[in-house]
Amino acid sequence: MLSLIHNELLVITGRWRSYIGFIGISILMPLILWGFVYGSESLQNDYSRGFEGSFLIVGSIINAFLATYIIMNALWIHIPFLITLAAGDAVAADGSNGIFRLTLIRPVSRLKILLSKLLASYIYSASLVIFCAFWSLGIGSLVLGTGDLIVIDNGILVINESEAWLRMFLSFSLAIIVMCMVSTLCFMFSSMVNNGIGPIIGAMFLIIVGYIIIAIPLDFFTKIEPYVFVSYFNIWLDAFKDPIPWVVILKKLSVLITYSLIFFGISAYVFINKDIKT
Amino acid sequence: MILEAKNLTKSFGLRKAVNNLNLEIPNGSVFGFLGPNGSGKSTTIRMMTALISPDVGEVFINGKSIQKNGSKALSNVGALIERADFHNHLSAKTNLKMLARMDGTDFSNIKKVLDRTGLGNRANDKVKTYSQGMKQRLGIAQALMGNPELLILDEPTNGLDPEGMKEIRDLVGELSSEGITVFISSHLLDEVQKICSHVAMISLGELLIAGKMQDLLRNSEMLMTEIHVDQTEKSINLLSNFKWIHRCDEKNGILRVSIAPNKIAELVNILVQNKILVSAIIPKTSLEDLYLSKIGIKSKVNA
Repeated sequence: MLSLIHNELLVITGRWRSYIGFIGISILMPLILWGFVYGSESLQNDYSRGFEGSFLIVGSIINAFLATYIIMNALWIHIPFLITLAAGDAVAADGSNGIFRLTLIRPVSRLKILLSKLLASYIYSASLVIFCAFWSLGIGSLVLGTGDLIVIDNGILVINESEAWLRMFLSFSLAIIVMCMVSTLCFMFSSMVNNGIGPIIGAMFLIIVGYIIIAIPLDFFTKIEPYVFVSYFNIWLDAFKDPIPWVVILKKLSVLITYSLIFFGISAYVFINKDIKT
Repeated sequence: MILEAKNLTKSFGLRKAVNNLNLEIPNGSVFGFLGPNGSGKSTTIRMMTALISPDVGEVFINGKSIQKNGSKALSNVGALIERADFHNHLSAKTNLKMLARMDGTDFSNIKKVLDRTGLGNRANDKVKTYSQGMKQRLGIAQALMGNPELLILDEPTNGLDPEGMKEIRDLVGELSSEGITVFISSHLLDEVQKICSHVAMISLGELLIAGKMQDLLRNSEMLMTEIHVDQTEKSINLLSNFKWIHRCDEKNGILRVSIAPNKIAELVNILVQNKILVSAIIPKTSLEDLYLSKIGIKSKVNA
């Protein structure tokens, strides 16, 4: 299995499309960090307006942790699109390029080949999130420094610096799981067709519909919200609650993993029974 | 038998691509698989290599059913199905390494097969820099990598120049002499006749004929015979009146007729009675003649 994953990683790293996400993040993050450096005064004023009557703020609350928290809030809607750029091609490209005529005639089961592709997509998804973390937390801590993290969410939570690292680690780990689920969704569409664009459009369409459902406070939408996988995408925010709601996190994780298993199950069924005519 | 196909049937929608096809490929043979475009050749080959599942029937390789054992049954099979497509952005060597990992074969085989197919000095070049002929040779290289007992080649000479075709023909000859069974589908009847010991013909998804090449040519219902006569034009005019003579023409001054084997004596008798001197009768049935007669008959039946 490891050698198959190695193969898939060679293919992913060889495609220019795989680098769009990394290039995008590399362009966006310096801009955002630059914005934090030069716009920190107004941001600090806006951010601290809600609690300046209760707290005495010494120094700046703007640091790498807060920057990362704000960046993640802004990007968690957009990162899935970058994920789908690689996952969309995972199976479909091999079909359209005729590669299956070389790989599926070898003594390796289709399930193993499919699983290796999925795991390689997961590695790609995780790399993209880790790359985000590298910029926002790694480079961010060099540029903005570190300190206590102040989170405003139904109240004010001050997380001390040493704990903020752990919270960030938990948050990014949960974000990786969300992105792996997005990857599996796109992967499912990829196993059904022979071009890489359809799966990207299909996956993004479902995600956008999901965002719309959870954003509009209609009774019907509220009723179906628990069944909409997008409503669990904000699981990474739970890492910044006090106390950390482990039960809620586990529940959300189980839903995301269940959806991933269903999507992979459908992919496997389609792929194993697929006639390779191209 | 290294490969047996039993009752293979496959439909795509309402169209039956392959209908109750039975084939037996003897060990050590070079087996030609012929048929016009859309006859079901590729579908059959894809069923033999687990790319397509038959609706009915099974393919056995060394007695193991592909349908029951999955791709494990393909461990001794190398195949090139239609055009050779690779990851163009990777080198030939990297592409072969990826496939070697899947086969579980040693990387040392890569150099061997690349040298054998004349690509040794281009191993590190990206596949996108290769000509179609080179890609095709790389396709054969990947098929040989696992030291197969059975090599399945679907139109291996597609896109090759005459020199490339000869190289492939020589390579197939070499592989056959090493004991590898080769199953080859091609449109080039002359090529097939030169290299194949056995042949099968398929049309509209049904097997028309299969067996040893020599036996099939010898026992053909319509023998192409060259007859050396002193008056070619008169002979043609005369023989054109007989319905049991399916084809009658002249090439380089020699009369060529297509007739059933039991009619040769009657034909000679007619020529002699009409004062035409017959100096030689030479059976000249080619695979092309056999193919055209078989495919023609099938087409007429279906028309």
